[in-house]
Amino acid sequence: MSFRKRNIGVSSGVDRTPVPNSSTQPQTATQSAPSTPGVRPSPDDGRPTTSTGSPSLDNLLAGHGGMPIGKLLLLEENGTTDFAGALLRYYAAEGVVQDQKVHVIGMPEQWGRSLPGLIGPAESADEKSDRRKSERMKIAWRYERLGEFGAGVAGARAPAGGTGDQVSSTDSSQPTQPAFCHAFDLTKRLTHPSIGNMSYIPIRPSNEPLLVSIQKKLEAAIASSPPNTVHRIVIPSFLNPTLYPPEVSQPENVLPFLHSLRALMSRPASRITAMITLPLSLFPRSSGLVRWMEILSDGVIELCPFPHSADALSTSGAATSHEEPPQGMLKTHRLPVLHERGGGSDQNIGQDWAFTLSRRKFEIKPFSLPPAEGDQEAQDNARSDKMPKKADLEF
Amino acid sequence: MPSQLALPHLLTPYVVSPPKSSLTVVSSVLGATGNWLVLRFLYAALGNSPVSHPGYGDPEFETRKKRRVVLVSFLRGWEFWRSEAKRLGLDLARLTEKRQFAFVDGLSELFSAPSASSQPAPKPQHYPGAGIAPRATLPIRSQPVPTLLRQPLPASSGSDGASPQTVREPGPTKRLHFAGSGLAALDTIEKEITMVIDELKTSGPGEDEDEPEILLVIDQPDFLLAATGLSKGIGATEMGEWVMGLQQAVSATIAMISADSPLIHNGSTFAHQAATPLDTEHAAFAVGLAHRAEMIMQLRNLETGAARDVSGVLRVSKGGAWGQREGAAENWEEKEVLYFVQRDGSVNVFGRGE
Amino acid sequence: MAPSNISHRQTHNLLLISKLLSLRDTASPLTLLLDSLEQPATPLIKEYIRRARLSKVHVTLIAFETLKPFDGVDAFIPARRKSPSEMLKEVGAVDSSVASNSSNRRRLILIDSINPLLHSTRLDKSFHLSTFLSSFIVPSGPAASKIDSSLVITFHQDVPGRPAQSPYAPQPLTILTYLATTVIKLHSFSHILAQKAARDRSLVPPVFGLAEEQDGVLLGRLDKPIGKDSAEGGVVLEMEYRRKSGRGVLEWYLLPPASRYPATQVKEVVTLLDDHPLYRPPEEVGFADGEEEPESTFELRLTERQRRDREGVVLPYFDAQQGSGPGEGGRILYDMGEEDDFDEEEDEI
Repeated sequence: MSFRKRNIGVSSGVDRTPVPNSSTQPQTATQSAPSTPGVRPSPDDGRPTTSTGSPSLDNLLAGHGGMPIGKLLLLEENGTTDFAGALLRYYAAEGVVQDQKVHVIGMPEQWGRSLPGLIGPAESADEKSDRRKSERMKIAWRYERLGEFGAGVAGARAPAGGTGDQVSSTDSSQPTQPAFCHAFDLTKRLTHPSIGNMSYIPIRPSNEPLLVSIQKKLEAAIASSPPNTVHRIVIPSFLNPTLYPPEVSQPENVLPFLHSLRALMSRPASRITAMITLPLSLFPRSSGLVRWMEILSDGVIELCPFPHSADALSTSGAATSHEEPPQGMLKTHRLPVLHERGGGSDQNIGQDWAFTLSRRKFEIKPFSLPPAEGDQEAQDNARSDKMPKKADLEF
Repeated sequence: MPSQLALPHLLTPYVVSPPKSSLTVVSSVLGATGNWLVLRFLYAALGNSPVSHPGYGDPEFETRKKRRVVLVSFLRGWEFWRSEAKRLGLDLARLTEKRQFAFVDGLSELFSAPSASSQPAPKPQHYPGAGIAPRATLPIRSQPVPTLLRQPLPASSGSDGASPQTVREPGPTKRLHFAGSGLAALDTIEKEITMVIDELKTSGPGEDEDEPEILLVIDQPDFLLAATGLSKGIGATEMGEWVMGLQQAVSATIAMISADSPLIHNGSTFAHQAATPLDTEHAAFAVGLAHRAEMIMQLRNLETGAARDVSGVLRVSKGGAWGQREGAAENWEEKEVLYFVQRDGSVNVFGRGE
Repeated sequence: MAPSNISHRQTHNLLLISKLLSLRDTASPLTLLLDSLEQPATPLIKEYIRRARLSKVHVTLIAFETLKPFDGVDAFIPARRKSPSEMLKEVGAVDSSVASNSSNRRRLILIDSINPLLHSTRLDKSFHLSTFLSSFIVPSGPAASKIDSSLVITFHQDVPGRPAQSPYAPQPLTILTYLATTVIKLHSFSHILAQKAARDRSLVPPVFGLAEEQDGVLLGRLDKPIGKDSAEGGVVLEMEYRRKSGRGVLEWYLLPPASRYPATQVKEVVTLLDDHPLYRPPEEVGFADGEEEPESTFELRLTERQRRDREGVVLPYFDAQQGSGPGEGGRILYDMGEEDDFDEEEDEI
């Protein structure tokens, strides 16, 4: 832990300011918070970030606690499931709730109507803290100390907060500040005044190449919105042949499109984030085209759902029998900002992640195989009351 | 302190003074990018503190005056390079003003259709309130936010005259456009880059009369190949010749390319999988460049999986053109080291097990 | 192999490589060098140039990937963005200048890499590799008949080629190897040694560089693999020479690093790979004479009578092997005790 503490000082020292982070942070927060809800400075280096709509994905993103503005996240999914689509819906819904401009490419308006319903920030925070209390003794002692996964990142870098999850702490300690991330319910429908504000760019044949016309419409839509708007670009199931004509998947169409998107987002004045999902079954990672799409993206996350029949495997993946079994593995191939700089130095790196999609949230946890089946004694031991205390003493 | 961190001594012999008319290839993979290494090259050429190492070219290079650098970037914008270089203590904006550095922007408008170029040129600092449509100027107001967030106290960045003007950087000098197809399109780009190079060569009134050494850094020229391809009449040979043309205009060249398995091995002779034209062309271009390079710096992930204190593996090898120069002083040797990029941008380079 | 055979092969094949590398008697008008990133052809090309200078052969370099000419090159023709016919014209121009200088009758044309030409998108249908190459060797000009040209082409094996327009036409590399009178494949000596060491232990020989198929690895060569000295810096040449009679000669040679001998050395520097002490260590003394058996205090041989007696012996339980009766042949009946550590895979009972 001393290792991370040292980094705080260094990261603030070189180019930005000799003032320690603790004093900079409130300052920057007060600067940005009133002007744009849903945008907060990264606890890592102060760059503006916005939430992806699911707290555990936010926490995965290399210590920024959210998606840095101007970055593009590519979600790849194996198989025919649509977990990535759920993440995308959270992302879009969060944008709607935060009054950001959401641009949906290639989907009809029905897609927007199927966004998950808002539960609200308070409820989710309450639920979370409740859950944490009730689970205190259940979580395996190693992870119990980490708190809500990823909270360690935020906690360690925000010395003022210090206690657990950034999301809940900002919510509770400063009730005046608008929530950064909301909770949604997949079984409900989102009703929000600004839902009509979403813009849809359909796939329609024109005399121009398809992606060029999409690009132009996108740029026009972004240029025509009022200043200071934060944009979200949502591209569900990119290149899927049921949506896109086959010639789109030629590299000379796809790559310039992504490149222009990157150019658009990296303009110093624009405040855009984008999320793209890609069906890996149709476009495997072993092909050069997909690799180039990944290189052009700032973050690459791959979802590998477990096969349906593998009940035994999925139950055994749960750390304890009280947790929900994970539904698949999640791999981070590239994280925004971090890998552009060279990679490494993230505490989340090198972990195996598992994800669980429930009605109310998409949860990403460290994947761990429990003690061998039938070794009930060991499992009981791991959950017994004495273990956590002992662990606390030792570490 | 940044100078000390900026150039780990294990790395110094490889990044200081690439020999004349040489090509150095930096290859990277998805999870181990080479931007930090490119920044080290920039630092070695432009940094303030004199680097007291003979470098991998002639030892006499050390005595020569500082080099000038042209950075052509296809995947990353000016903002990225400026802020990352700042972490090393290099003020690219100031260096641009002093005409020691020039940035060629291959990202912003490379594929924008001509009509789009009339759209808000995203350099609002230069045309505040110019007569573009009101929509076009909208970014101005939001501009201060990211700038402030990224560097709350710009004046304290160490450099003496970091006036607000230098913070509102002059921006890239040149933006590349790809238009048309085939050799003509490549020629246009080449011409634009050589124009920047020539400008940098001729500039510098009152300086020594001999032509300055120009170091050209090309960030991912392979993207140009991937995004255009055979349907536009551009193949590996054409791209290779394009790089050669630029090489002739400068004293040393560094090219950053991707060496991910799908891009290199699908097309290779050892492949077990059908290769797409993209794979084949990329492999032919990348391997062809490696044959022409004197030194190849290969970045890759740790074979044993990601680790918290290791970002990746760097292997420095002799390229296909090594040994072609007569009397090439052999003052570097092939080496494989681990590196770790810290959050503050400094880099540790160390051997395995150290 | 009989010793006389070896020495014959040695002298014969060494003469052959010497003739080939020095371009004597136009032994090989078209030589193909197959190199890779693991072992570039540069040392061999330099050796060609060195010998050409010694024997005053005019050297032309057609440069597809070289920016600056090597030392000792008389005519340097950059081939960047040139069409094949333009190249031919320039080479022809050099030709006539060579011809006018009557002291020089032999000529070496080097192509530093044929891959860019084969991979070019600008080649039209009328381009034929064989005609293009033969027009170097057999120039059409009147002055040309006096000059003996040898063409040495480098082909990078690891640069993938584009699939041919016609799937039925042979690949360019196939054409090249078919046309070439000599094919020299280059290997790094340290790799050859590593592979031999593995084979001697019946292990899978290691692969290097691109063949490793590792993410991000273009080159596997390292100067100093652990525990090796600089004696291995040579280049191994795997040569295939086609005689006019049609018979081929296959031989492996070793070209030592250029720093080992002076540039003016006339004596042959190339050796047979088999003669190198690191590749084939000298055999131990004592085993040298084939027929003699090792000496020992035991008498290992049998007399005729001993042999007959031995065959006559009936082994105990010979009958039990018939497989009938209560004990079912010679099976051992045994009850496992508690202390027995029974391993199923080991002793099948």
